[in-house]
Amino acid sequence: MKRRFLALALSVVVALGCAACGGGADGDAPAADGTTEGTTEEAAGGGESSGSSTVVVAMGSGFATLDPGYVYEKYPPLIVNACYENLFKFYSNDGAPEPCLADTYEFSEDNLTLTVTLKDGITFASGNPMTSADVLFSINRCKNLKGNPSFIADTIESMEAPDDKTIVFHLTQPDSAILSKLTYSSLAILDSAVVKENGGTDAEDASTTDTAQAYLDSTSAGSGMYVMTSYIPDEEVVLEKNPNYWGEATNVDKYIVKIQPDSNTQMMTLSTGDIDVAMNMTDDTMAELADAEHIAILNGASKTVGFVMMNMNEEYGGVVSDPKVQQAIRKALDYSGFQIICGEGTKTPYSLIQSGFMGSKGERAADYTNLEEAKALLAEAGYADGFDVDLTVTDLDMEGILLTDLAQKVKDDLSQIGINVNIVSKPWAAGYGDAYRDGTLGFTVMYWGTDYNDPNVQLEFLPGAVVGLRAGWTEEMNPELAALYQETMAATDNDARVAVLEEIQDAMYEDGPFIMVAQAPVHLGYNTRLDGVEFSDPYALDVTLINIK
Amino acid sequence: MEQLKFIGKRLVYLAVMLFGVATLVFILTKLIPGDPTVANLSQRALSDPEVVAAYKAKYGLDQPILVQYVLYIKNLLQFDLGTSIRTSKPVLMELARCYPATIELALFAILIAAVFGILFGVISAIKRNSILDQAVRAVSVTGVSIPSFWFALLVLYFFYYKLHIFPGPGRLSNTFSAPVPVTGLYVLDSLLEGNIPKALDALSHLILPGTVLAAFTMGLITRTTRSNLLDVMSMDYIRTARAKGIGKAGLILKHALGNALIPVLTVIGLGLGNLLGGMVLVETIFNWPGVGQFAYESVLSADFPAIIGVALLIALNYMIINTVVDILYGVIDPRVRCQ
Repeated sequence: MKRRFLALALSVVVALGCAACGGGADGDAPAADGTTEGTTEEAAGGGESSGSSTVVVAMGSGFATLDPGYVYEKYPPLIVNACYENLFKFYSNDGAPEPCLADTYEFSEDNLTLTVTLKDGITFASGNPMTSADVLFSINRCKNLKGNPSFIADTIESMEAPDDKTIVFHLTQPDSAILSKLTYSSLAILDSAVVKENGGTDAEDASTTDTAQAYLDSTSAGSGMYVMTSYIPDEEVVLEKNPNYWGEATNVDKYIVKIQPDSNTQMMTLSTGDIDVAMNMTDDTMAELADAEHIAILNGASKTVGFVMMNMNEEYGGVVSDPKVQQAIRKALDYSGFQIICGEGTKTPYSLIQSGFMGSKGERAADYTNLEEAKALLAEAGYADGFDVDLTVTDLDMEGILLTDLAQKVKDDLSQIGINVNIVSKPWAAGYGDAYRDGTLGFTVMYWGTDYNDPNVQLEFLPGAVVGLRAGWTEEMNPELAALYQETMAATDNDARVAVLEEIQDAMYEDGPFIMVAQAPVHLGYNTRLDGVEFSDPYALDVTLINIK
Repeated sequence: MEQLKFIGKRLVYLAVMLFGVATLVFILTKLIPGDPTVANLSQRALSDPEVVAAYKAKYGLDQPILVQYVLYIKNLLQFDLGTSIRTSKPVLMELARCYPATIELALFAILIAAVFGILFGVISAIKRNSILDQAVRAVSVTGVSIPSFWFALLVLYFFYYKLHIFPGPGRLSNTFSAPVPVTGLYVLDSLLEGNIPKALDALSHLILPGTVLAAFTMGLITRTTRSNLLDVMSMDYIRTARAKGIGKAGLILKHALGNALIPVLTVIGLGLGNLLGGMVLVETIFNWPGVGQFAYESVLSADFPAIIGVALLIALNYMIINTVVDILYGVIDPRVRCQ
């Protein structure tokens, strides 16, 4: 009897062991249509990635579609940028937008018209030539889908295509960020013939009549360096070289983009060679890789910024609506402490504009914190003995950093000057979101992810603008500062725009209801067989710039 | 005939139960705080009434709750679970996409749990109070007590990262592309393709997550098998059989184990039901695109149609498993059929 049991147990173990050994020994070369077949040594896994023309990238989750008309979250731009192209593109993270599909562009004297001409010889992956009609279709579709990213076309009043190569944008107002907006993934240029064949429309009722999302979630219809051959939600996306690519391609033939939200998993798979790039690393997991020979690590600051908001409306803000109290709080916060909590690479912006943006004045001075001055300011405001205040916080995280952790830090710092903070938790989808949007939160910690890669996104914090109003900061409270919104929008000349942006930052350095505490860090690890791996704010990772050494 | 009557009765229960679950979950999802518009639209989009209105109209959120309910039940009767608010795809299609991954993992895990659980339980009972028994009991208690997410990280760290014995996260190695979906179970679909290396690769990817998920149920099965076998072994008919000179192996296999397995079947059934509901943390760590991850993302997005869909699926699982277990009782013990 004993032998029978033993034999049974052993046979199961042997079967499993055989299965384990079988994994990855032989490989199937994916065919161009994404299906299987044949055997190849072109393995990308099991530490054999060196020498392969396939690159495996692991990125986070949190998105549900790769249809450019709907993409808004952090990671889909990686795919969209690989498979589609825009009129303009950011070729470096801190640079200005440069022409991509555009050949030339020109603003009218009143800055209300932008004329763009397309480069010659651009074709889509289908072989169809790109024309100005495709541009009009793509931008109108995004606008009329009325999805998360539709706002990006808000300043485009209308468009016309006088010929196959020219697009004329009529703007609702001068918009110095229009070129940056045209780099946005949602404004990627689609092959309109293919998309229309598959249910796409750019009509005004597109939000209810467009049915192309299912198609664009199964394949791509762009002119980019790659075509999407497979997308298994929550699992992986496969990109293969576009055989009809009009530009100069890199030497990476194929990308397998794994959706791997866990940072420990990414660390292990990068270390063993199963993946080549890990995009969701944390301080801890990066430390584990510090000594790995074949792995390089990058630590930097993203443009997602955490901030403290103090409502200017006394009805909601109470004590913290007092400008003197706001200054005291600003002086009492320990910014280097926030940087430690958030991790290596974190920066505290000088003021409203994040470090890395055009026109940014860099970082807040490390010695800005001064408890004595903070106490004096509190005394001036009539609160020499401090006060009690509620700080509302929600269940969200800023690039993996819990807002509750930031709130706890605010509480600790303010206790140094006698302010007793009581942290009140409220779920985002169950009250906080509405209260935040309605401007009824008195004192809170929140974050702001940049909608598009341009310093103008920060103008929404000005008095009378979207986020400004959430802090009860009306235009009437500071008309001079509010006027700088339009002045920045009209400054299509970069030098002029930088001057206005600096003026805004100086004005908000010590005043106003917002304190920018930390730009979230980004940690990226990659196999040193790759060249050109850089973190990218607009695309998360620009795979079109990566080569295999 | 009796069996058919029994199955027919069960099917009626099933329909009533599913209707009840759908209604209850619908009411609960409407009662609990959470607005899908706020959960799914960006801060900027929420500031645009036109975008908010278009979003509500698209998913029927602008209708009164009663109308939403009637519409939902009407669609449900036509096997339409609605459209996921998060992914904009039919919920049925989404469940069909992620459920096979969960089924494959759950079946593998329950197989490990049942085989080793019964084996260890029998060994433990035979060698009662020996060192072997103590060791098996220690293993089963550990299996029941160990947090699955921690165990998952541990086995991944040692058996994949450090020792390179087993493959890492995911359902297949990067060298293979997903098989053409027939059943959605990668091992089976790879075999149907005639691709043995791919099937073995898919099987090898099941080992670590399967073992982690099996640990808890295996512990329960071991303990249940041991205690029931000990009870049965002390009964009169076993003593009689022993007196007739039947050997120990025959005694256990032919006379004792069958009777001891009935409660074990219940444990296996419950364990399978639990596993088929999806395991969020283990699925996340092993990058397993199953129903647990889908449910988690749906809850975060206040995606009511998807949440109700998952609840119905879980209810259906338990109903089917309980029915099968009831039928199996009769197969193992003819006295149950007589009742």
